[in-house]
Amino acid sequence: MYFVLFTVFACLSTCHCFIQKDVKKDESHCGLLKQWLESSLVSVELTKTGFHREVVTTVELGPGVLSGVRVVLVQRWPRGVYVDPYQLASLSEQSNWQILIDSAIDLEVPAHKTEGFVTYVYPALDGPTPRLKVTIPVHGRYHEPSYDGETFASVELEHPELLLRTEKCSQLNSVAPHTVVDAPCTHDNSSTCPWVKLQHQERGPAGVQFPVGDGSLVTPVCGGTLLVTMLCCAALSKHMWEHRII
Amino acid sequence: MERLITELTEKRVLLTASFAVRLALVAYGDYQDRTMVVKYTDIDYHVFTDAARFITEGQSPYNRSTYRYTPLLAWLLTPNIYLSVVFGKILFIVCDVLSGLLIYRILRLRGLSSETARRVCSLWLLNPLPMGVSSRGNAESILSALVLGTLLCLEARHLMWAAVLYGLSVHMKIYPVTYALPIALSLRTPETRSEKVKKGGSWFMGFMGSFLNRQLFLFASVAGGVFCLLTALFYYMYGWEFLHETYLYHLTRRDIRHNFSPYFYMLYLTTDSRWSQWLGLAAFLPQLVLLVVASWAFHSDLAFCCFLHTAIFVSFNKVCTSQYFLWYLCLLPLVIPHLSMSLKQGVGLLLLWFAGQGVWLVPAYFLEFEGYNTFLLMWLAGLLFLIINSSILIQIVVHYKPTQTPQRLKVE
Repeated sequence: MYFVLFTVFACLSTCHCFIQKDVKKDESHCGLLKQWLESSLVSVELTKTGFHREVVTTVELGPGVLSGVRVVLVQRWPRGVYVDPYQLASLSEQSNWQILIDSAIDLEVPAHKTEGFVTYVYPALDGPTPRLKVTIPVHGRYHEPSYDGETFASVELEHPELLLRTEKCSQLNSVAPHTVVDAPCTHDNSSTCPWVKLQHQERGPAGVQFPVGDGSLVTPVCGGTLLVTMLCCAALSKHMWEHRII
Repeated sequence: MERLITELTEKRVLLTASFAVRLALVAYGDYQDRTMVVKYTDIDYHVFTDAARFITEGQSPYNRSTYRYTPLLAWLLTPNIYLSVVFGKILFIVCDVLSGLLIYRILRLRGLSSETARRVCSLWLLNPLPMGVSSRGNAESILSALVLGTLLCLEARHLMWAAVLYGLSVHMKIYPVTYALPIALSLRTPETRSEKVKKGGSWFMGFMGSFLNRQLFLFASVAGGVFCLLTALFYYMYGWEFLHETYLYHLTRRDIRHNFSPYFYMLYLTTDSRWSQWLGLAAFLPQLVLLVVASWAFHSDLAFCCFLHTAIFVSFNKVCTSQYFLWYLCLLPLVIPHLSMSLKQGVGLLLLWFAGQGVWLVPAYFLEFEGYNTFLLMWLAGLLFLIINSSILIQIVVHYKPTQTPQRLKVE
């Protein structure tokens, strides 16, 4: 009987050892993940002018890649801009990233009649010290005409959030001060996973300006338009009637 | 030089050459799409192809956002998915060349000699604008073939076929519905001498009575039947979305983004104001008045009347994009042989038309691609373009001589 007790105790202690080893391995992976997260840098650049712009996001990931790490860039867009899902679909075929948009986008509606949206960009990681560059074309929406003499409407684009996760780190409460958020696992949005969000200094949003109509001119514009159209209508009617074929 | 022109416009050579050039453009477009950043193919072609793909998967083509056409078009383009993505473009260029052939047939029926008819229809067949539009994948050539087919059948008095083609063309795009008035006026019983002297109420009764004849009844019932059948079929298949995207959207469309229309800035500034409904109505009135006057004045010459109708409709519309120009350009070759203006005057009017577009395109480019606030300039350019269009139409109306003997264009 003592022999049985001894064997059970021995098994239990070895199991405990293995678990401790796993936990230590897990903790070391999470530590690496945290280190890696802290040494990453996200920078944003806006290119092009007019209503069609490009948002170029560059992510510098820290040295020493953990295999099996996945990255996602979460960008919250305001109502003043939109992305064309079909354009993005053809773009992502030619580049190494996939994108998920959280809601259907109406391409034609003006800014004040719609809401913002969120995009998740899943880049493919390759190379020892990966440096990711994602270019997303965005288009400006028409804004409400201004009545205070402002000729441009400002739209603020927030800095994207960098999220990381790895299968090897499951003790996500050990990654403080970084927060853990839920986000879709992959671009097909079939499941949600916990991700570690990079807690860095919040940089100021980037500003974009789009031209707007001058609402104070509404009376002369309406008057002028209706006058010219009525005059053209009258002139054309007169000539058509004079030269009618009987 | 004369011999060269005669040989080039020899019918078979003309049709083959124009088809070959369009085919070459389609091939070039495919090359440009694969190798360069700026694509040759129009975005509309991708919309059609995506909608056709939804149909092959058993879904509604309206799952493709911005697909605002009849499901018939997506059904026609399903070989894009089964055979080759270039099938649609081949179909469009075939319809384009067919339009040229129909122009030739109509001109011959109206009494022109074979040589003159060929020269005039080469204005369409060798014209870079319809070549470019069809090879880029726009479906306008299907509609121009249908409209020209309707006019040919009416000219040849094959009323049943005319009615079928007319019903089909109205199903595909709404604007041919404006031709209903001149067609009705031309098919009604002609007034007799004794009826012409009647006045007041008895004239009005006689006028209304003249619409009740067998030919008009036949045309109206066949055209109406075709249209209702297609509408009912697609409503059964795709429901309310079909009605909304194909018809209602275009009727209530208030696209406030910049376009050639003179009303664009006015509609943009008043989108949310309580006057917007009244302004919309005020914008519709000139179109309505002009269409009624044009129908009454020119219904005896249907080709000219339809050309004027479409040109007026497009110029005075609340939304106007360059695609719409093809709707009346395909009817222009029918009008040209009867214009008594010199070649210099004709070319001058053409250059004026292009200049009007150019004056609008410059501020539009600076707004869209450089971010300058050029709204006021675009508004003025839009009004100028309307004035130019009206002047050109007035010149055409003044110089139109609807005689049976064709007037050769005076070459200076």
